[in-house]
Amino acid sequence: MSAFFRSKEIQLAILILSFLAVFIPYFLNIPSDHPLNVFSTKLILIAGITNAFTLALAVYSQFRRGLSFVRRRARGYIFKIYMMTAIILMLIFWTMGETTGPYHWVMYAIITPLSSVNYSILVFYMASTGARAFRARNAKALLLLITGFVVLLYQAPLTGAIFPAINPLGLYFGNTFAMAAGRMFLISVTVGAIVFGVRVLMGKETQVLGFGSEKE
Amino acid sequence: MSEKKGLMRFLAEYDRRIIYLLIFVVVIGPLLSPFILPISVSPDTQAYYNVIDKLGPNDIVMVVFDTEFSGFMELQSGILASMRVMIEKGAKMVIAVSHPEATGIPELVLNQLADVISRKQYTYGKDYVYLGYIFPNEAAVAATAQDFHGAVRQDYYGKSIEGTLLDKVKDWSSWSLISDYTTGIQSQALINHYGLRGTPMIVNCIGVMVATQKPYVSSGIYKALLQSMRGGAELEYLIGVPGPGLTAMNSFTLGHYVLIIFIVLGNIGYFGYTRYKQKPTGG
Repeated sequence: MSAFFRSKEIQLAILILSFLAVFIPYFLNIPSDHPLNVFSTKLILIAGITNAFTLALAVYSQFRRGLSFVRRRARGYIFKIYMMTAIILMLIFWTMGETTGPYHWVMYAIITPLSSVNYSILVFYMASTGARAFRARNAKALLLLITGFVVLLYQAPLTGAIFPAINPLGLYFGNTFAMAAGRMFLISVTVGAIVFGVRVLMGKETQVLGFGSEKE
Repeated sequence: MSEKKGLMRFLAEYDRRIIYLLIFVVVIGPLLSPFILPISVSPDTQAYYNVIDKLGPNDIVMVVFDTEFSGFMELQSGILASMRVMIEKGAKMVIAVSHPEATGIPELVLNQLADVISRKQYTYGKDYVYLGYIFPNEAAVAATAQDFHGAVRQDYYGKSIEGTLLDKVKDWSSWSLISDYTTGIQSQALINHYGLRGTPMIVNCIGVMVATQKPYVSSGIYKALLQSMRGGAELEYLIGVPGPGLTAMNSFTLGHYVLIIFIVLGNIGYFGYTRYKQKPTGG
């Protein structure tokens, strides 16, 4: 029986049926109490809950990796001990309640400042890189530099207040060149996702089912 | 002549710690002694304000903190100003988060809005509900869009959501607006399962996301886009309630100017020293 469910064809058939169960109600205006829509909603909910369990998998993987570091006394193993201790403590604190007590305290007193520092420290690296990398080495680089200046000046709120002519120029760059690049990125990602999805449904990308790599 | 060459060499090869120090000074200085510099309001922020200004007591808004704590630092001015307007207008709010770190954010925000909550007698359960971490993945977002009560039964504090304002919510079509504050965790899922079906959306995103989010405004999926902390500061300016955004704008402005100065100086050094040094001497 297990061999039957482990076969590639059966898994692919389940995948296609699951896809259709979600795809059809999404694109066709089926009433919410229709059995197909009810089934679709249940299936999505099951997928959501199953997917959320990946958090537990992540904790397990971190421990396995961390313990391997500690056993080998690899570089930075002290930080792995710190990480595993923090995870264990948070799991213990979590059982005492999320909204009060030690879990709440750790969230506000430790995670908040650490996360904020982690993000804000980037400004130094970005400023340094920007200042050292932007060189007018040729005509294209000069154009990039001029555009960068205009956008930077526009982004500084005081500039627009004392020199309003910068606003339409900054908006122009944002609404034309930047938007074009953004659209290109979105379209390429979406087309790629659709192509990948179709290939999975056609059985040409079986790695997602755990069948190893297949080459065409 | 050698003094000039020495200066050019310095401009071309200065120690990066000088930039770190100056950025530190111009960021910390204005935060320690705040002063409000004038700012200009962009059309995008005006459009965003127009959307939230039209909300009324019959509107139910899903407020999504789609961010880690780090991103919250950039978005908090927009969050505070937007929620202040929503409370002032009497719109109902349902708060959800899509990152475990964000579970602490709503309480921080609501504490900072205590004055308006108290003045408007904005009540938990009747006017707002906090659901906690209900969007761990796209499937969870999809489930709430198709059958909200099938997917969510209790609030963040473990109490049943029955008898609250959520009794009026059935699926994606029940929401008047989705107000997403995002670093990009579940924003695409919200578009896929709410925005594309017709639920109006407004978004406040971090600076690096602006270029990829703007197409959704022109396609009509987003009613408006509030850009980063700068947009939040402009919104504070529009509603006349200064907050963390306007305070940070001084550092923001000076930081940008310092960066521009360093780029100019670096280019002077490049043409005066590096490029001169790279030229073949011939012979």
